[in-house]
Amino acid sequence: MHAILPPMHVQLLGLALGLYSVGLLHSVLTVLRKKQTLFKPAVIATIIGFGFHAASITVRAYELRTFAVTQPHESFSLFAALAVLAFLLVYWKYKIPTIGSFAFPAIFVMTFVAMLTYNSQDSVPIPEMLRSRWVYIHAPLVILGYVALFIAFSAAVLYLIQERELKAKRVFHNRLPSLEICDDLAYRSLAIGFPLMTLGILSGALWAQQQWGAGWIGDSKILLAFLTWLIYLLLINYRLIAGWRGKKAAYMVVAGFVGVLVTFSFQSTIHP
Amino acid sequence: MELALIGVSHKTAPVEIRERLAFPSDKICAALASLLEKTHAAEAMILSTCNRVEIVARGPDADLVRDFICEYHQIPADAIAKHLYSYQNAEAIRHLFRVTSSLDSMMLGEPQILGQVKEAYRLAAEAGAIGSGLSPLLDRAFAVAKRVRSETGISQSAVSISFAAVELARKIFGDLTGKTVMIIGASKMGELAAKHLKRNGVASVLVTNRTFERAVEIAKIFEGAAIPFEHFMDHIDHADIVISSTGAPHFIITKQLAEQVIRNRKNKPVFFIDIAVPRDVDPAVNDLDNVFVYDIDDLQQVIESNLKERMKEAGRAEEIVDREVRAFYTRMQARDVAPTIVQLRDSVEKVRREEIERHRRLLRDLPPEQQQAALAAVDQVTQSLMNKILHHPISQMKEMSGDPQGAEFIETVRKIFNIKPQ
Repeated sequence: MHAILPPMHVQLLGLALGLYSVGLLHSVLTVLRKKQTLFKPAVIATIIGFGFHAASITVRAYELRTFAVTQPHESFSLFAALAVLAFLLVYWKYKIPTIGSFAFPAIFVMTFVAMLTYNSQDSVPIPEMLRSRWVYIHAPLVILGYVALFIAFSAAVLYLIQERELKAKRVFHNRLPSLEICDDLAYRSLAIGFPLMTLGILSGALWAQQQWGAGWIGDSKILLAFLTWLIYLLLINYRLIAGWRGKKAAYMVVAGFVGVLVTFSFQSTIHP
Repeated sequence: MELALIGVSHKTAPVEIRERLAFPSDKICAALASLLEKTHAAEAMILSTCNRVEIVARGPDADLVRDFICEYHQIPADAIAKHLYSYQNAEAIRHLFRVTSSLDSMMLGEPQILGQVKEAYRLAAEAGAIGSGLSPLLDRAFAVAKRVRSETGISQSAVSISFAAVELARKIFGDLTGKTVMIIGASKMGELAAKHLKRNGVASVLVTNRTFERAVEIAKIFEGAAIPFEHFMDHIDHADIVISSTGAPHFIITKQLAEQVIRNRKNKPVFFIDIAVPRDVDPAVNDLDNVFVYDIDDLQQVIESNLKERMKEAGRAEEIVDREVRAFYTRMQARDVAPTIVQLRDSVEKVRREEIERHRRLLRDLPPEQQQAALAAVDQVTQSLMNKILHHPISQMKEMSGDPQGAEFIETVRKIFNIKPQ
C-alpha cells in the first residue's frame, strides 16, 4: 500500500507555507538581533509563496467548479492569501519594512491554521445549509473586511508602541514608522474595512432572514459580530465628529479587532 | 611600494600645535613641490583640517618627511616629536581608511572629513603629486568610506540638539513637508533647530518674542511671520512643532493652555521642544494625549544614546576597514612586479630541479660519462624550455606594471602559477 498524497491544493498551500516561513524567520531574527535581517529574501519568498497560494485557491475552485469558501480550511486560506496581498500592497505604497515584522508571523500563522484545519474526510461535501448563493456574497465580503481590519490593527499596534516610546522618552533605535503614518494607515484601512464588514453583516442578515426567518437574531456569533461592528461604528463616528485620533483611536482599533478574532473563532449552532 | 603617513591629530596634539602645523590650502601646492623634492617621495598628499595635519607619501624616508614638517613650519623637532605619529604600509593604509571613514574623527561618523580628504586629493592632483600609487589608494579610501556609511549606522542618528529635534519630529510626523513650526523666544539654539526643521521640509515658521523687533529679525531669516508676544496664544494652534526658549522664570505653556491647544487642533499631534532653562513647558503637558514634550535634558539623553549607538556601529565599521586594508595591501604587493617575477622564476626553477631529480634514475643504466652528458643535455633543454615559456609572461608583466589594470593582471599571473604572497 502506498501513502496517499494530499490533494493538489493542499500540497500547493504547503509550499506557500514553507515560503512564508522565511518571513517568520525574518521577524524572529529581526526581533532577536534588533536589526533588520533577511528582509529582502523574506519579501521575495512571500511573493513566490503568494503565487503558490493563489494557485492552491484556483485549483480548489476548479475542482469544486465553484469558489471555495465553505470549509473553515478554505476560508482561512483565503483570509491568509488576502492578508499577504494586502501586506504587499501596503509595503509597496508605504515602504515600511517594520510592518513586515508583524505581518509575516500573522501570515504564517493564518496559513498554518488553514493547513491544520484541513481534514481529508469532510473536504468534499458542502454542508447543506451553506448551499446557497448567499455564501458567495457573504463570505468574501466578510473575509475582505477582516483583512482590512487586520491591517488597521497592525498599524494601531505599531502606533501604540511608537507612542509609548516617545512619551516615555526611552531612547530608542527602532525603525518604526512615524505616528502620522500609522494613524493614517489605520484610518484608511478602517475606511475600507468598515463598509465591507457592514455589507458582509447585512448580506448575512438577509441570508439568515431568508433561511430561518427571525430566529437568527439570538445567535451568539451573530450577536458578537454585531457588537464588533458597533465598536467600529463608534470609532469612525468619534473620529469624524470629535476628531478622535492617536492613542484612544488606536486602542479602539485593537479592541475592535479582538472582537473580530473572537467572532471569527466562535462556533455557533447555525453559523460555521 | 613603500607608503608612509605622518601627522598629528586632535588625539595626539593640542590645538596650539595643530594650528602651527597647519597648511593653508593656497600654500599646499607649493608645499607639495618642496616636499617631493626634499624627501625623494614619488607622490604625496597633504591633509590639513582643524583637527588634523597629515602627510601621506609614497616612497619617502619617514625621517625626511618629519624634517620637512619642522623646517617648513620652523619648529624645533623635539617640540613636536611626542605629538607626531608615523605609520608605514599596511598601517598607513589603515589609518587613511579610518580617517576617511570618520572613525578617527572627534565626532564619530561626522560627514565632513570625507569632503576634506577629497579636497586634499584634488589639491595634490593639481600639484602633480599624485600617481599610480596614491591614486588607487585614495579611490579605495573613498569607496571604503562610502561602504562604512551605508553598511553601518555610524552616521545615522542625530548627535546634536537641533538634529535630535528633527529626528524626533520625524518620528511623530513622518514627512515634515507642509508642517508649521513656532519659535517662542529668541535663542541661537532655537534658531538652529528651526533652520534644520525648515531644511527638512517645514513650510512655515512663526516667531514670537518679548522684544518684537527681534522676532521680526528672526522671522526674516526664515521668511516667516513675526507675532507680538501678547498674541502668540492666538496662533499657537497652527503650529505642529513649538520650540520654546524664553528667559521666563515660570511656565509659558501650562497644562491648561496645552489642553486648549489640542482641543482646537482636533487632536492633531503637537510637539513641544523646550530648550529653555528654567523650563517653559510644564512637564505635565507630556501626559496629554497627542502632545509630546521634550526638554533639554531629554534631548541630551537622546544624543547620548545615539552616541553610544554610533560607538557600537564603529566596531562594525572597524571590521570593514580591516578587511579592506588586507585586500588593498595584498593587491598593492601584487602590483609590485619585480618580486613577482623573481618568485615566478624561482617557483618554476624549483619544479624543473625536482623533476630532473625525480627522473634521474632513468639514466642509471648508462655508463657514468654518458650519464653526465645526458644530464647536461637534459639540464640545457629544460632550462631553455623554461625560459621560452616564461619569456612572454614576464615581458608582459613588465609592460603592464605601469598600467592601471596592471595589478589585476599580475594577480592573475600569480594565481595561474600559484605564487603565494611572501
